Amino acid sequence: MRRVNDIKKDSQEIETVESLTSVFESLASTQVAKVKNKVQMSQEFFNLLWEKYTSLRVDSDSWLMSRHKEDNGRDVYIMISAEAGLSGDIDLRLVETVLRDYDPKTTDIIVLGTHGAQQLLQRGAHYVGFYKVPLTDTYVDVSPIVESIRKYRHVKVYFEEYVSLGVQDIKTIDLIQQIQAMTKGAEDSSQVMSTSETIFEPSLDEIADIMEDAMMSLALSQAILESGLAQDASRFNAMAAAKKRAMELVGFYKLEYHRSVRADNDRRMREVMISLKRKERMRVNA
Amino acid sequence: MSEAKLLTVQARAPFEVYYVGNAYTVTATNKVGKFDILPGHADFFSIIDPDSEVIIQTEKEEINIKVSNGIITVKDDTVLLFLNI
Repeated sequence: MRRVNDIKKDSQEIETVESLTSVFESLASTQVAKVKNKVQMSQEFFNLLWEKYTSLRVDSDSWLMSRHKEDNGRDVYIMISAEAGLSGDIDLRLVETVLRDYDPKTTDIIVLGTHGAQQLLQRGAHYVGFYKVPLTDTYVDVSPIVESIRKYRHVKVYFEEYVSLGVQDIKTIDLIQQIQAMTKGAEDSSQVMSTSETIFEPSLDEIADIMEDAMMSLALSQAILESGLAQDASRFNAMAAAKKRAMELVGFYKLEYHRSVRADNDRRMREVMISLKRKERMRVNA
Repeated sequence: MSEAKLLTVQARAPFEVYYVGNAYTVTATNKVGKFDILPGHADFFSIIDPDSEVIIQTEKEEINIKVSNGIITVKDDTVLLFLNI
């Protein structure tokens, strides 16, 4: 049996871990609530922008074709991972999903997040672009990414999806299809703004191009946000599990401590009894 | 005496609502230069200059918003500002 002082020291260390995991758990929980709010706000913004975009063009779906002017004949996967660890096994699952679909002959990979980039390199996979994941509570400027994917035929985004606080999945979307999906909640504008009654500065076509890029950026930003949400939820779960384990260990150490104290007392008592018996024997013999 | 006409303004970024309400004027800058939108302005659609400032003059205060980029639309005295996209 271990010594009482050793058990006491271990128990104190685990209690510190328990307190720390409680703090991380609370932080992750707050972050989840904050990001959920931002996702909702971003969708409202997108709906308004879409409404204005459709007021410019009746054939609002046709722009999707115009994006392939600089087509290089290759596909690109955008993998959105975490910037740091402590998010459970979700990044690992993400990398495995990407590599299952990946064919270096036809496809390039652009990776967001240091953690994912490291995991890809460890598996010998090469990526053509790397970006740090923008912080979820600051402005998400994805324009460099949008610029770099302009030349690709198909853009697939792999990210971690928030299903619920307890469940996070790996989601794959085609960016263009995602934009179409996002428009479902928005109403097409019945008020067409034409050049005959509206002043356009610069030209209508230039404005439409900028709006298209803006919507592409928004779709990507939403994927980044949702990925951040899933990572926060995953972090919350990892911390909750760590806290539970720490509590179990604290209980175990307390039991071990009391048993050890009891064993110590028993041993001393036994020594006293033996000593008394010895004295008694010596007294009788004398 | 009739009340002064006001604009209905919404100024939003993807993750932030800067202002929603009435205003006397909206001032912004595009390629052509600085411009003011007042009630009765013609229908208008423009790209706001990068790293410029949008000023919304409301009944109570003047709101200054620094923007990295944006789009402004005006239709029937309703001004929509899509900022920091």
